[in-house]
Amino acid sequence: MTKFNTVYINHFDCISCAGDNSLDLFESICLNKNTLTLDEYYVPSKISCIGKISTNKTFDQLLYEKCLNVLNNSSLQNFDDTLLIVGSSVGGMLHTENSYLKNKDYKNIDYKKHMISSIAVFLQEKFSFRDDVSFSTACTSSANALAYAKEVINKGIYKNVLVVGIDSLSHTTVCGFSGLSVLSSEPCKPFDKNRNGMNVSEAIAVLLLQDKKEENSLLFCGVGYSSDAHHMTQPHPEGKGAKRAMQNALFSGNIDIKDVDYINAHGTGTKANDASETAAIHSLFKNYKPYVCSTKSITGHTLGASGALEAIITCMVLQKQIITPNNNLNEIENNELNFPLQTIEKKVSYALSNSFAFGGNNTSLLFGLC
Amino acid sequence: MKINLKILDASYLYGENEISSLNTKKIVPKMMQRRRLTKASKLLLELMNNIRFTKGRIIYGTAFGELLATSKILKSILNEETVSPTDFQNSVYNTAVSYASILHNNEEEILTISSGDHTSLSVLKVAAVKAMDNDELLLLCSETINIENIDVLNKCQNYLECAVALRVKITQEEESLFYKTNKSEINVPISMRAMLNIAMNFKKSANVIGVEV
Repeated sequence: MTKFNTVYINHFDCISCAGDNSLDLFESICLNKNTLTLDEYYVPSKISCIGKISTNKTFDQLLYEKCLNVLNNSSLQNFDDTLLIVGSSVGGMLHTENSYLKNKDYKNIDYKKHMISSIAVFLQEKFSFRDDVSFSTACTSSANALAYAKEVINKGIYKNVLVVGIDSLSHTTVCGFSGLSVLSSEPCKPFDKNRNGMNVSEAIAVLLLQDKKEENSLLFCGVGYSSDAHHMTQPHPEGKGAKRAMQNALFSGNIDIKDVDYINAHGTGTKANDASETAAIHSLFKNYKPYVCSTKSITGHTLGASGALEAIITCMVLQKQIITPNNNLNEIENNELNFPLQTIEKKVSYALSNSFAFGGNNTSLLFGLC
Repeated sequence: MKINLKILDASYLYGENEISSLNTKKIVPKMMQRRRLTKASKLLLELMNNIRFTKGRIIYGTAFGELLATSKILKSILNEETVSPTDFQNSVYNTAVSYASILHNNEEEILTISSGDHTSLSVLKVAAVKAMDNDELLLLCSETINIENIDVLNKCQNYLECAVALRVKITQEEESLFYKTNKSEINVPISMRAMLNIAMNFKKSANVIGVEV
């Protein structure tokens, strides 16, 4: 019979446009700070609102520092029984773009630095983990990394897993979303009647999952996967796949819908996503109304990093017992859901975090208090 | 920990520049659906048709992803042109397997792994862990790197298109198929070799592999 070890989120850290660490991030969300910036660099002749990390350091330096901080705060003496799982949608695209746009050919592109796995290779050189694996499922990449981390601990294969969700800004993603006509020129307004699209952003989010409880541990209770099988970029209009992912997460955690107090929505601020997710949540929870919050009006959409970044936000909601507000939500489009408009101190026992991606890839993660 | 997987069926394709004579027209009769497919998605659909798999959990691997769509995007950016929405939607690493899920109405868990040269080995490891749940899984891996001017970067691979599929289930039976993780009888990208090696040597008398996780 398969083992079933409990999985704890024991340590985490992050950096994004919303702050240099998880405390700053949570404060930015609760205080509705201005974190997104107007940009004309990526899309020529067009103003885009994006989330850029303010730093003089390289992305590699930031990545190393965040991982080092999480590992130093743990009791791990070595990483012989630690798996590294990376979730990223662009990997080393920035290196490729810099070389190609400068030289106008492929000659100086280092293909090893282009690959998604370049992140794991860099971290293996620094820390020597027992093994590594990289997931790339667009905007669910790091949610799927977390989900697999839970699985290997549940099944007794690893005791410790370091999960890294990471995506840097790139011309490819900013211009790509601009090409899809979903890029906003102001901070996004998820679930608002007057929404005008999304903000592409960058982040590094690092979490250490273990099979032993520590002082401030949180429970990683459930995971739900599904595929829309509908369209490459449009989610199912009735949110069928999203609903099934949340259902599967609750089922795997053996948690009733009425035990869920908070949902960190995928909430990108695009019409198609918001409508689909709203329909999914309403259809699943019916008359029971947990708080639903998109934090992307502060963090932007950090793409492959968003699953891990929003898992950290969800863990902090549980730790601090504070419901985060939907900043920029002025005219709620659908009153069937319970959208908090300000921070609320409340008992929160269980919380879901949703991630949805191109290809109809859906992953929902369920966290709880120990 | 070692987990044994029984190979229930296997199929593979490879070509020097491109794999031709595919049955895509027959597999995807609707032209509007067919015209958006990437080369990798056509290869996966062909393999899935060969081994008669339409629904269930899928673990897919690709080290390089959708290079053609990526190269078109880079060219658009260099020329300060608008990025084509189709190129952008087709540039994510899970594109190929997502088209397969849409066309087969497969609503199950579908993951995409990109672990560089270890990609197909990582697919096997993840599959071995997932197979502990006792269901049948489809493992897929593909590389399609035959883009314009690839010879500037590619100095060592002879076969620029390659795809492999394995249908597997956990077993208590003894290992009977021993595979190499980074060597191959043919010069395909290293990322493909572990799974291709298994598919090429699969037979009824040698169909159980051991995967160290």
